[in-house]
Amino acid sequence: MKTKTWVLLIAAVFAVLCGVSFALYHIRPQSTVANVYQDGVCILSIDLSAVAGTETYTVTDEDGHENTIEVENGRIRISEANCPDQVCVDTGWISGSLKPIVCLPVRLVIQIESDPATEALNLDAVSG
Amino acid sequence: MKRLFPILLTVCLSLALAACAAEQGTAVTETAEDEAVSVQVFAMDTYIDLTAYGPNAEAALDEIAGEIETLDGLLSVTDENSEVYALNHADGAAVSVSETTRSLIAFTQTLSAQCGGALDISVYPLALAWGFTTEDYRVPTDAGIADLLALVDESQIVVDDEAGTVTLPAGMEIDLGAVGKGYACDLAREILAEYGVEHALLNFGSSTICLYGDKPDGSRWRVAVQDPEDDSTYAGILELEGCVVDTSGGYERYFTDEDGTVYWHILDPETGRPADSGLISATIVSESGLNGDALSTACFVMGLDKSIDYWRTYGGFEFVFITEAHEIYVSEGIADSFTPVYDYEDAEITVVSQ
Amino acid sequence: MKRTTKRLCYMAVLTAVALTVFIIEAQIPLAAPVPGMKLGLANIVTVYAMFRLGPRDTLLILAARILLGSMFAGGFSAMLYSLAGGLMCYLVMLLLRKCLTEKQIWVASVAGAMSHCIGQILVAVLMAGTWRIAFYLPVLLAAAIPAGAFTGLCAQFLNQKLRSFSFEG
Repeated sequence: MKTKTWVLLIAAVFAVLCGVSFALYHIRPQSTVANVYQDGVCILSIDLSAVAGTETYTVTDEDGHENTIEVENGRIRISEANCPDQVCVDTGWISGSLKPIVCLPVRLVIQIESDPATEALNLDAVSG
Repeated sequence: MKRLFPILLTVCLSLALAACAAEQGTAVTETAEDEAVSVQVFAMDTYIDLTAYGPNAEAALDEIAGEIETLDGLLSVTDENSEVYALNHADGAAVSVSETTRSLIAFTQTLSAQCGGALDISVYPLALAWGFTTEDYRVPTDAGIADLLALVDESQIVVDDEAGTVTLPAGMEIDLGAVGKGYACDLAREILAEYGVEHALLNFGSSTICLYGDKPDGSRWRVAVQDPEDDSTYAGILELEGCVVDTSGGYERYFTDEDGTVYWHILDPETGRPADSGLISATIVSESGLNGDALSTACFVMGLDKSIDYWRTYGGFEFVFITEAHEIYVSEGIADSFTPVYDYEDAEITVVSQ
Repeated sequence: MKRTTKRLCYMAVLTAVALTVFIIEAQIPLAAPVPGMKLGLANIVTVYAMFRLGPRDTLLILAARILLGSMFAGGFSAMLYSLAGGLMCYLVMLLLRKCLTEKQIWVASVAGAMSHCIGQILVAVLMAGTWRIAFYLPVLLAAAIPAGAFTGLCAQFLNQKLRSFSFEG
């Protein structure tokens, strides 16, 4: 191929890529992802911004513990659990990345990766 | 043209030497500098999230996690092998315990005396009666509370450093939960210093947060104070470095009875009932984690006026108090670091000075 | 293929040059809008070697540079990224080599730089376990074009200037 053809081809690809990058940057969805960790291992990852209606997941462990996780658009909670304390259920809905839901007896942690509100305030921790 | 190659070669090789020299000096530490290491520990009845930056971060955090578990083994009220369990079941006999446990008890005794008994580790049997430890909530009868209150008075605990023992009056039970996380914080800070770690964020289940140094980018840490009336949002933001932030609030653990009355887990050792001092959130910013942890609980119980009096008398910490009336009181030392947000943006803020 | 001592020396020098450039570039913080964006100056050597020494020797130089480079600056994960990027780049240039003239060396470099990005993003996706990172791909690819063209032209210039230099005996 002639050099000119190459130049044109690469210029065209460059233009398309610039366009796509620009478009992606502007339509990038504000997604909020929640990760469920059991004993430190991520066992479930849910895109909370993509949830329509209510979804439920059940997490079990070898000791017979059962935690029911309920997800709605932008928020997540443990709706039912058979752990002795009910701290995880009492925590209620969470939508921010700085406050995880923790079920100590089951060693279960639900953590939201990042959320628009926390990012807007640029927070490192919540005291409470 | 043949000349060019040797010249090019010489330039490149000398650059290579220069690069190697630079490598040993700053480069390695620079790449490792920003690397964050996180360790999570389930201990002290909470979820502890430790993050540190720098080359020694991992080793330091591993040691801290080990220390926290050791400490938990000493202070746990439920672990039958713990020293606190042994004390609670000694039935009036002297028990030989570690220096850590002795010094923690002695510390709370001093503080308890200073704040007129607003903090009392021997209030534990009442917490049991209310079901706050087991989540099996119930409102005890007045007579039941009176009976248990008779046993609450930590000044009667005898700490004998020479014999290495502690003696509780028969029937008294203690819980060092109000100072355990703060003490763990101080241990952690020593370990971080030993390892030369410069930046770390140690989050003890949100209630005690240790901001070690500043952020790796040199800015201050941004810590939100939870809105005591709505746990999904914040009341304000503190910008701080090199300190421990400790918040106590009724919203952490509470229950509501059939009449709709809310009972929370911080009990007033005076009445044996949930503290009702007019404060709904007490945040203490302190150099010492131990001090901050204990004082946030004590201030929540003492209420606004007594807490400010305490601060003016003893000092050594800064505070943000939120009252039932939606007012915020900030001590002058951190007034510039505190920004109210959301529902509290228009709240009345009083800067308290010495 | 039996290599002459001179050729081996030349390869060693090229590896040293690539390594030097690679490490120096790693020291210069670049205010990039996307993490991982860089000029890729070490690629000048790879491109040059590809057209001057041929694929076999180039692979050796490249592998040596990546292994040594991640030993000096970076670590295991950095090596994975470099390796994936480097191999993708190498394969694409290998394919393009035959259909380009000496004045079109820069085209191979552009294509190589782009495939380098793809390789690195693939590793990132595998390591992070989320395809979300692939959102960066278009930006990285777009940036790779001028960067690749620049390094390619450098290699082309080098090739022209060093034409009279013989390493075969």
